[in-house]
Amino acid sequence: MEAVTTLKCATADNANPISSTASIWQDVLAQAVTGELIAVLNYTSLAEICEDPDEVADALEHAESERGHAAAFTAEGGKLGIVVPNNVNAKYWKRLRTAFLRQIDARGFIGCLIIQEVMLESFAVASYKRVGQVAPGSLGNTFAAIAAEEEDHIDHAMAILRAERALDVQRFDDKVYALHIEVMTILAQMFAREDADGHCELCHGSCVKQSLPVVGLTSSELRGVALQHYLRTLDMLGLPGELTLVWVAQLPV
Amino acid sequence: MPIPIDFALIAHQESWRAAADVLAVLRGPYLAPIPDDDLKEIFPWFPPRAVCHIDHRSVLGHSVHGIYIDSFIPPDRLAHKYRHENIERVRDAAACAIKAGARIVSLGGFSSILIEGDSDLLPEKGETVFTTGNTLTVAFVVKGIKKICALQGRDMGEATLLIVGATGDVGSGCARCLAPLVKRVVLNARSIDRLRSLAEELSAGGKAVDIATDLQQLSVQADIVICVASLESPSLLLGRLGPNAIICDAGYPKNLSPVDVLEDCTVFFGGLGQSLGGMSFEPDVHRVLHRHPFPNVGQGCVMEGMVLALEGRFEPFSQGRGFITPERVQEIEAIAARHGIHLAPLYNAQGPLEEVACETEGSADERQIAAPGRAV
Ligand SMILES: NC(=O)C1=CN([C@@H]2O[C@H](COP(=O)(O)OP(=O)(O)OC[C@H]3O[C@@H](n4cnc5c(N)ncnc54)[C@H](OP(=O)(O)O)[C@@H]3O)[C@@H](O)[C@H]2O)C=CC1
Ligand SMILES: [Fe+2]
Ligand SMILES: [Fe+2]
Repeated sequence: MEAVTTLKCATADNANPISSTASIWQDVLAQAVTGELIAVLNYTSLAEICEDPDEVADALEHAESERGHAAAFTAEGGKLGIVVPNNVNAKYWKRLRTAFLRQIDARGFIGCLIIQEVMLESFAVASYKRVGQVAPGSLGNTFAAIAAEEEDHIDHAMAILRAERALDVQRFDDKVYALHIEVMTILAQMFAREDADGHCELCHGSCVKQSLPVVGLTSSELRGVALQHYLRTLDMLGLPGELTLVWVAQLPV
Repeated sequence: MPIPIDFALIAHQESWRAAADVLAVLRGPYLAPIPDDDLKEIFPWFPPRAVCHIDHRSVLGHSVHGIYIDSFIPPDRLAHKYRHENIERVRDAAACAIKAGARIVSLGGFSSILIEGDSDLLPEKGETVFTTGNTLTVAFVVKGIKKICALQGRDMGEATLLIVGATGDVGSGCARCLAPLVKRVVLNARSIDRLRSLAEELSAGGKAVDIATDLQQLSVQADIVICVASLESPSLLLGRLGPNAIICDAGYPKNLSPVDVLEDCTVFFGGLGQSLGGMSFEPDVHRVLHRHPFPNVGQGCVMEGMVLALEGRFEPFSQGRGFITPERVQEIEAIAARHGIHLAPLYNAQGPLEEVACETEGSADERQIAAPGRAV
């Protein structure tokens, strides 16, 4: 599997002993950094299949910006005196990356945008926003600022996707549904109350979900805001709300 | 080509059981139901949207097509403190109806209460009009009272009528329709000022009217009780009533607390209509949305939009609070009847209060009424 060499890849074992809230932030940041690194990999792969030089430049620029996000989150960990681990091979993230690579292999530019911008970003933006509201000081500000940046860069992709949908509505909606089944099922499992498949391979102890209330978060709320953001994003693309409601209602819990 | 949407209904579920049932229909027959804990975590985050399509047939032969939009107000968050978030949900639901091109929209249950019947609080409307639906609700409440009195051989002219939630839109409409028919009216709500002004209006017609913010004070004199307070849960305790009192609970959620012991009373759920032409739902959430022992039954407020659509009268028939008059009640009742929409057979939590000839779906040919016997 790929190595992400630009950031020091720490593991929980070599992290310093830290206070209880810092250890929760450590796990939250580990998920965020890993998600950003997956985005770096995804945009870099996307650049390789783009034909239009402008799109290539755009994808590489996105990859750079996601790398900046990962660095910013890692730096926030540093301010709390923690080393933030990351692991793009952790169970759920690896499955998400694999799903994206299937689109790359098929040179499916549109499929890639749907996975990265509609699905992964929905979860990132919604949960960063929520974390931004409760995390103290610069940690909160960083989450909020990155959520805003993610939202900004989604506009361009949305315009491309809307134009694509206009060409053949049924084909587009079928494609979104197929990717929904593949990708959203993974995200739903990742955000579920319990990890059905065992440890997520990122949290440094037992799963951080149970400890989130200590810092003013709950996993249920993060799942809720993420699914809501996803449904609203699909609304913006023009998919019928009654259809996407059924899709989301059928996700695993 | 999108199907033209004649009407939309905006509503919400009155219990977690009902919410779970809606989700179970959406999940389909092959997926296990969502566990209750997960349901309560996920449901409140759904943005308002259409849950099903409805075809409503008139007995005149034509039909109208509409959508049911759930605002996904969590059943345990109807309280005043959640008002702002709930208004946002109603606004979002209204935006859905407008986007779908609905020509008329009924604001069911708390949807109209939250915006106080003021459709100016809703998003830019285009061609879409909104009705609270409360005039038809009043019509069915009033008809239900008259019917049960007739079936029990009660003289309304000798009765004392108590209305809980009397100053509300439905309550004041019922008061105006029924005050001329009873001996005495007792009005109950929390705000004394509004009670006074309604009492003034009613007594100008020469009727004996009392007001009470303390329900227990005057309830013992009541022969007929209409419960239409905007309570967030079934929590109303009526206390002692007159002998063999008749109680109509038209609240949504229900007003009456299940622990209230109402000896020797006849309780029925009011404000409900039944369509003889019939309705079909896709996906089939009919039994989930309309949890009644009879087919094709719905609340007056949601039926009003369908009735107006069947009549081709796309107008905001019921608007604001406190403007429902007996003339308007008669008018909507006549329109509804023309399309085969009448008072639903009476029932309560224990089951039907009437024997209904129901061989064919939608036939509401009532025969006789059960003897008094309380039930909530
Ligand atoms: N069956 C059906 O088809 C329909 C049922 N409904 C239901 O009818 C009820 C009333 O609706 P609507 O008239 O539109 O609502 P409104 O908001 O117009 O009126 C509510 C009334 O209840 C009173 N009230 C509220 N809390 C209490 C309390 N604790 N004790 C006594 N009175 C109280 C209010 O007065 P105050 O604030 O002064 O106490 C007011 O008089 C609701 O439950 C609604 O969902 C509505 C439409 C259709
Ligand atoms: Fe990012
Ligand atoms: Fe991003």
